[in-house]
Amino acid sequence: MSSAPAAPPPPPKDTFTVVFDGKPIEVPKNLNLIDAAKLAGLDIPHFCYHPRLSVVGQCRMCLVEIDGMPKIQAACAVPLREGLSVKTTTEKVISSRAATMEFLLINHPLDCPICDQAGECTLQDNSFGYGQQLSNYDEAKRQFPTFDRTMIGPHVVADMTRCIQCTRCIRFTQEIAGTSELTFLDRGGRTLVWTHDGQPLANDWSGCAADVCPVGALTVLEFRFRSRVWYLHKTKSVCPGCNVGCNVSIESKDDVVYRFLPRLNTAVNDYWLCDHGRFLSESLNTRDVHKASIREGNDVRDAIVPVAIERAAREIRAVIEETGPSGLFFLGSAHLSNEENFLLRKLADHLACPNRDVVVDKSRVRKIKSQTEWVEGDDAAPNFRGARDMGLSPAKNGFGLDAVLSAKASPEVIVVADAGFAAFADDPEKVAQLRRARFLVVAARNGNALTRSADVVLPAASLSEKEGTFTNVQGRVQKFERAFLPKPPVRAHWEHLLMLATALGYGDRNWTPSDLLRQIAGEVPGYGAVKEQELEGGALLKKGDFAWAGAL
Amino acid sequence: MQPILTKRVGKPNSRSIETYLADGGYAAVKKVLTGGWTPEQVTDEVKKSGLRGRGGAGFPTGVKWGFIPKDTKGKPVYLLCNADESEPGTFKDRLLMEQDPHQLIEAMVVSSYAIKCRTAYIYIRGEFYLGARVLDEAVAEAYAKGYLGENILGSGYSLDITVHRGAGAYICGEETGLIESLEGKRGQPRIKPPFPAVSGAFAAPTIVNNVETLCCVTHIINNGAEWFTKIGRNEKNTGPKLYCISGHVNRPGVYEAEMGLQLKDLIFGDAYARGMKGGRKVKAVIPGGASANMLTAAEIEDCPLDFDGVAAKGSMLGSAAIIVMNEDTCIVEAAQNLSKFFSHESCGQCTPCREGTPWLYKVLTRIEEGEGRTEDIDLLQRICNQMANGMTICVFSDAAIAPPLSSVTKFRQEYEHHVQHKRCQVGARAALVTA
Repeated sequence: MSSAPAAPPPPPKDTFTVVFDGKPIEVPKNLNLIDAAKLAGLDIPHFCYHPRLSVVGQCRMCLVEIDGMPKIQAACAVPLREGLSVKTTTEKVISSRAATMEFLLINHPLDCPICDQAGECTLQDNSFGYGQQLSNYDEAKRQFPTFDRTMIGPHVVADMTRCIQCTRCIRFTQEIAGTSELTFLDRGGRTLVWTHDGQPLANDWSGCAADVCPVGALTVLEFRFRSRVWYLHKTKSVCPGCNVGCNVSIESKDDVVYRFLPRLNTAVNDYWLCDHGRFLSESLNTRDVHKASIREGNDVRDAIVPVAIERAAREIRAVIEETGPSGLFFLGSAHLSNEENFLLRKLADHLACPNRDVVVDKSRVRKIKSQTEWVEGDDAAPNFRGARDMGLSPAKNGFGLDAVLSAKASPEVIVVADAGFAAFADDPEKVAQLRRARFLVVAARNGNALTRSADVVLPAASLSEKEGTFTNVQGRVQKFERAFLPKPPVRAHWEHLLMLATALGYGDRNWTPSDLLRQIAGEVPGYGAVKEQELEGGALLKKGDFAWAGAL
Repeated sequence: MQPILTKRVGKPNSRSIETYLADGGYAAVKKVLTGGWTPEQVTDEVKKSGLRGRGGAGFPTGVKWGFIPKDTKGKPVYLLCNADESEPGTFKDRLLMEQDPHQLIEAMVVSSYAIKCRTAYIYIRGEFYLGARVLDEAVAEAYAKGYLGENILGSGYSLDITVHRGAGAYICGEETGLIESLEGKRGQPRIKPPFPAVSGAFAAPTIVNNVETLCCVTHIINNGAEWFTKIGRNEKNTGPKLYCISGHVNRPGVYEAEMGLQLKDLIFGDAYARGMKGGRKVKAVIPGGASANMLTAAEIEDCPLDFDGVAAKGSMLGSAAIIVMNEDTCIVEAAQNLSKFFSHESCGQCTPCREGTPWLYKVLTRIEEGEGRTEDIDLLQRICNQMANGMTICVFSDAAIAPPLSSVTKFRQEYEHHVQHKRCQVGARAALVTA
């Protein structure tokens, strides 16, 4: 006798049904209640909770009511379970939040007009959203005068009178940086955050301690009082500091870059950014090369870009006629985007020149903690891997940079697509080797030994002035956007390259980086599979803020 | 009642192991370890005795022990003796430790056996220098006589006890604050759950018991749970109890009596505090340490001093620290004094407590000094209500509001007098005109 086969057991559910204000919703089991509420479209106000830091439940702002629990509960500390019913709008919740806000504000200096955090301050936001306008506090406010306006490390300035004792910074140094410089001193109403024994807050990520600070207690010296944050324009970009490729937002105003903030990308830099990268933002504003120039003997004179390009194209044509394309050498750069390096390689292909290479400076190992692991890079530029992927290495019978520098090869014309390499372009011996060429074309933003000895110098844009993609050490292709246009006659590297290419009979003047990316996707193995979402990278953050990781 | 816990207190050389052994000491250890008792039997006996924690919360001790998971996943179990006796008005554990340390050590051996603990700690208040020294010596004696260490009395059971001195923080008497401090961290209470029985010291299952609670265990084992349940007012409030009485009474001190002693007997009884100093009237009584609500003179009538008896009066037995205030006590000053203590001792992690306790102190100071305004009295109540009932991680802030809130509720007229007349109604400062 046979019976009908038993129905397979339902697969184990990896979600809980949680009821928010009467509305049931399925949420992943491992979420914090505050993050789960976001899925339900609810913003539970909080200060001390941060998705990457341990839960301490001490700011008492995220109070909610839970069915079956008589007392009000801190949402961040309530473990999710099946059927959990959360109420966020009851009178008790509203009055408890208002109570916490009142307590937080009684000793907080209400001097937002002179506080640098204003505009991106969680205390301001939550006070506006959940506080009450009037305070019953009529006593002298607590101050920590000797702990204000004090550098506690090379980058971070402390104003402890503004601190709300949320311990995010302390937990950051303990749990992410692993350096534990910060601690609580004293107790009760006299509690303040400070460094152990006066040792500085000097780890590689010290700026993140200021990032996680929800108020103006920790700010970054380099940005402090430079601009009110609401004037800043945020642009999705990628840090140029190394090949980890941390997602950043370029914060700029009137074509000036004011700061980098990390942009959430759980697979790369998560919520973090190292100090080395963060403070490169300033360097994007520097420029020595404002105009194109052409050297005639010892005489260097300014030129308009088309004339300079035409001069370079003429030399290239001459070499091809005299010695053939093997007299040319195209040098790409790990600072350039995939699109730019791709265009350079395609130009070399078009001219049948096998001599091409890419240059990169090495740095000490830079590390950033993604959600799951440390990501490490040791290039001093963001895109060495991408440049190689684009084909910038010697082709058959061709030579590379080593051959030129060791005088084994002697190209007639050298095109250096970007001169932004200190270790390379400021080394007189290496420059002398390159200078053996009859004609040297260089695109650059800042002057160095290489630009000073070049025959044609083209004024090239900074990272903030152009768009494109970088491929990081993990092989992740990431898009960076343009924050503002370069000031003419400065152009993006790809524009210079495209002008040179069209002058030599390759390409279309109307191509844009997105056209080039489409070509890359069609030609370069692996690049066809890159998803738009991955290209975009992470969500924009403001200081003290976080976006819910699951929303990505 | 014949003293049980304080039997040897005051006897010559009471702290030496010879005195203790001569008085039948370590009988419970012998009985349990060599008499074939299983740990579960010990726990059951304690459960049957109805013993409730003497530290303040009155939680049944045997039930607490039962919360240790059956499978500890290879983790050790710790017993922590909470000897951080810091509640203002409480000085009973100090007496037990300084006068009869072996009673505690024996109890810890038996209790550790019950919860399968191999390493126990006595976390003693930093200021108890003498107690720590006495305990250190007593622990050494117990090791030397084989009541501690490897293979106690040949039973195969081993236990180590370490005496750990605190660094002077009231909050380290809160069990998770104590655990953090023992681990070498800042003394701050933890979020519960997980409760210490599941994840406590060094992330291992941990039981934290008060000194007096543990001392009771020895006598429960020696005399049986039934004997214990016969002491005390009813089956929910069993055993002997140490009462610390202080304030305006003739004979302040520690008195041992059955659980459920009448508060009036404690204050006026000949065996106890022998009445009010100078025959003054009682104005207010704090029945359970600074964290307990004040009782008025009317409320102390028929008030049995046990967990449920005092709770029925809207206060709590707490650590059984009875503070008696006479009619010349300015209640505002008393509340201000206690608020200063709480404001000093808040650990500072939760916003309502960190900010609320100094605020209460400031407002009370203003009223006491004649700078108060009528609305300040309502403000006090409002601040208190904003600090209580789940607004914080631990119950410190619920404790901190007890003196101001209960005194404002019960003695509001005295607050109003301060505001209107800018001086105290009674006491030394009543005649003093400020401002």
